[in-house]
Amino acid sequence: MTYNKDQQLNLQELADWVIDQTKKAGANDCRVNLSKRRLVEINYRDRKPEVIKEATTQNLYLEVFINNRFAGQSTPDYRKSTLAGFITDVVDNANIMEEDPFRTLPDPKYYSGRSTIDLQLSDPDYNQITPENRHTMVKTVEDACLSKGGDKVISVEAGEYDETNEEFIKSSNGFEGSTKSTYCQIGASMTSKDEGDRRPAGYHYVSCRYRSDLPSLQEVGTEAATRTLDLMGGKKIATAKLPIIIENRNVARVLYGLFDPMFAGNIQQKRSFLADKKGEIIGSKLLTLIDDPFLPRALGSKYYDGDGFSTKKRNLFTEGTLNEFLIDWYYSRKLSWEPTSGSISNLIMAPGTRSVEAIIKDLGRCIMITGFIGGNSNSTTGDFSVGVIGKLFDKGSFVQNVAEMNIADNHLNFWNKLVEVANDPWIYSQARLPSLVFDKVVVAGI
Amino acid sequence: MKPIPRRKFIQGTALASGALLLLPTLKACKFLETKSSGNYFFREFGIDETICRKLLAKALSKGGDFADLYFEYSVSNYLGLEDGKVNQSYGDISLGVGIRTVKGDQIGYGFTQDLTEESMMSAAATASTLCDMNATSVNNSFNVPAIGNYYPVATDFNGIPGKSKLPLLQNINQKCFALSSEIVKVNAGFSSSAKRILIVTSDGVQAEDLIPSGYVYASVVAERNGKREQSSWNLGGRRDLSFYTDEVISEVTEKSVNSALKLFDAIQPPAGEMPVVLGPGVTGVLLHEAIGHGMEADFNRKNISTFSTMLGKKVAEPFVTIIDDGTNMNLAGSINVDDEGTPGKKTILVENGILTSYLHDKISAKHYGVEPTGNGRRQDFQNYPIPRMRNTYMMGGTATPEDVIREAGNGIYVEDVSNGQVKIGEGDFAFYVSQGRMIENGKLTSPIKDVNIMGNGPKMLTNITLAANDLEMYHGGAGGCGKNGQGVPVSFGMPTCLVKSLTVGGTQQKGGKS
Repeated sequence: MTYNKDQQLNLQELADWVIDQTKKAGANDCRVNLSKRRLVEINYRDRKPEVIKEATTQNLYLEVFINNRFAGQSTPDYRKSTLAGFITDVVDNANIMEEDPFRTLPDPKYYSGRSTIDLQLSDPDYNQITPENRHTMVKTVEDACLSKGGDKVISVEAGEYDETNEEFIKSSNGFEGSTKSTYCQIGASMTSKDEGDRRPAGYHYVSCRYRSDLPSLQEVGTEAATRTLDLMGGKKIATAKLPIIIENRNVARVLYGLFDPMFAGNIQQKRSFLADKKGEIIGSKLLTLIDDPFLPRALGSKYYDGDGFSTKKRNLFTEGTLNEFLIDWYYSRKLSWEPTSGSISNLIMAPGTRSVEAIIKDLGRCIMITGFIGGNSNSTTGDFSVGVIGKLFDKGSFVQNVAEMNIADNHLNFWNKLVEVANDPWIYSQARLPSLVFDKVVVAGI
Repeated sequence: MKPIPRRKFIQGTALASGALLLLPTLKACKFLETKSSGNYFFREFGIDETICRKLLAKALSKGGDFADLYFEYSVSNYLGLEDGKVNQSYGDISLGVGIRTVKGDQIGYGFTQDLTEESMMSAAATASTLCDMNATSVNNSFNVPAIGNYYPVATDFNGIPGKSKLPLLQNINQKCFALSSEIVKVNAGFSSSAKRILIVTSDGVQAEDLIPSGYVYASVVAERNGKREQSSWNLGGRRDLSFYTDEVISEVTEKSVNSALKLFDAIQPPAGEMPVVLGPGVTGVLLHEAIGHGMEADFNRKNISTFSTMLGKKVAEPFVTIIDDGTNMNLAGSINVDDEGTPGKKTILVENGILTSYLHDKISAKHYGVEPTGNGRRQDFQNYPIPRMRNTYMMGGTATPEDVIREAGNGIYVEDVSNGQVKIGEGDFAFYVSQGRMIENGKLTSPIKDVNIMGNGPKMLTNITLAANDLEMYHGGAGGCGKNGQGVPVSFGMPTCLVKSLTVGGTQQKGGKS
């Protein structure tokens, strides 16, 4: 993408201009977020390119506060000649809103104390990658997947996606922040031949900020095939109460049902079953969760949150006790509570000492859950129900793959069933969680 | 090329400035009435035949079967009510062009938000990198296909002053609290958008459309004896503001409030396999997940769908006919023209129990040697089109709803669902029951809630054993379908019908063991 002359202004100068114009248009306060992204995507299927995609995008998001009235609006157009009309429109939109005394920019005191640690969010070697490199990487992953899949392969798709992002945020009451970051993802999905018309499809994708942090590409492709072959012959078994192990990369899916009611918006709107449970034990002693924004190169690391608050390391749960809610500026004012932060960075759970394989040997008959399907979690009541896919073991020996089954519980019961944490945190996500073992869970099948 | 009057583009976002909007709005109305000669993108952004031909030639400069251009300009707004005040206004403008080069089943794709010739040529050059052959020629002329008008609107949402939408939300708030003293919180929202698209293809199609969409919703929390329950409902689709009458607002509020109150008496059903009766309407999401995705032709031409070998075969009882339809009036999945320039159509997927067609885009239609079915859809110009459903429904049978429930004997009755998902290769699917009832001895008894239902698509099809004569379409506008990272609006329809066995995920084993 090319830019006109007035689009080539640096982001800071443009942000200053937007703030100045917005205040002149009648706003008491405003905040502007300018972002640019360049992305590349390459997919191969059956040894030839299936998709080649490349583009650059940009966005300006303006939030306006006028006498406790609020409006937010975005546009891709950075030209001053047209932004003047855009600003007028956002101001007009705010003016028709009803007055809400809690709608203001945050108290600037929460902007202070920003970490100076180098979070290493942007890969210095990002621009070294060539189109040929990308094609070679994808072909390597595809070859490894095809090789491992052997005669069971119906189809393999391998892909690489990378992007570079630049963001500049400024508010009229003193917040200023900028971030440059990179992101890359590579992996493959495979579809295999199974009994009858079943064609199990599995995948393995890994994501990170630095390309050098990717695991071996052969390993990525091989793992995609292995995970697909592990789905072969999946069948449901009789409904039973069993220990389950939720695989590391899938733990976040269940955990987010516990986090949703921790957001201040849900608490203030009476949609949280945890609203009155701060300081109480809601899980077993093994439930210790930390929100750590300062892990170098991690996908959730950040210096400031959406309100501009300087980020902090937080102990959300300690040995089963709920320590802290996720309170943004707006809802902190509605609740008359001290704000914390309304977002999560990197979720960390300290790993245990044993591998999943070692744990399974001691569990008797158990199901290792390797995927979820459908389902939901009710933040008001804590009830959840979700489809599961996985493997049945008995005293460490593999019995069969399972599919078409379901687990359901209430979070206030479920997290008390957490009996062991494995030693295998999944590092290719902002939820860096290890596999978790729960006892006596009803797994519905036949 | 005509310079782009971006001021008009920016003005189009205004909620408040009705006067400022007058000119573009009147233009929009006039354009809509004479859609076939619309030329909106020429008038507003200077996109003419010369530049389109130049871009297509660039996209095919290294060869390829065909190329297409997808211009999009959309404006969306959301107004939200919380704690009795309409205190949130959000807006978004999207403008750009996506340029695709296709060779066989391979895609080269570039897009830009900047409709200058230089930027668009750069995106076309990106798309062209897929091929390395001699150039392919572009058709000599562009013809406008005959397309339907399945969502006529008097004035699109960009022409409606925002202030006129506020009373809708205040009305919802008042009605919800008036319906029950047990309601303790009400959230309401009004979402609206108007999207203009222009599709120009190297094989000579030029199609244009104005696509309205929106919905109004109420979400309530009720409290009884220290226990809370929540529920929500929405209505909308491809309509204008005139749809949102007091009657519609009453339906949204009554359904939200009554559903929330009913949950206080709800129980968890036993876990395991049992007969499941799907109530009419929104439960059609089961068709969407269990069958519809597996019939999207990209999955089948890649041989990765469980339905890949079933074309022409019996897949259900003879009374089962399933349709995917872009031509229903005003439904969320209706399309005058798909995002590749193929007119919206009605496609019979299963006719009297026989699988008769997949859902095709141009790539899969060529692969199978059939006409495209008008299912090539995309989220926006940043994405290329793929086969997607529109409004998917099953035709009604001859039984009464009471017959169907009686036939089930003991099982569950599903009234409202959400969060469906399917594994295409296995055919395994799940959907979440937010509202339902137990069926005991052929009669509806206790309410149930928060259970997931699992099944296998092909097995489920053969297990539909009875359908009632009460086909009902879902008229919601919120939500949509996600595939390959792209969301598109869809709708569903279903008569009351019996599936003789599905897995219900509860917390109790059969026999009451918890």
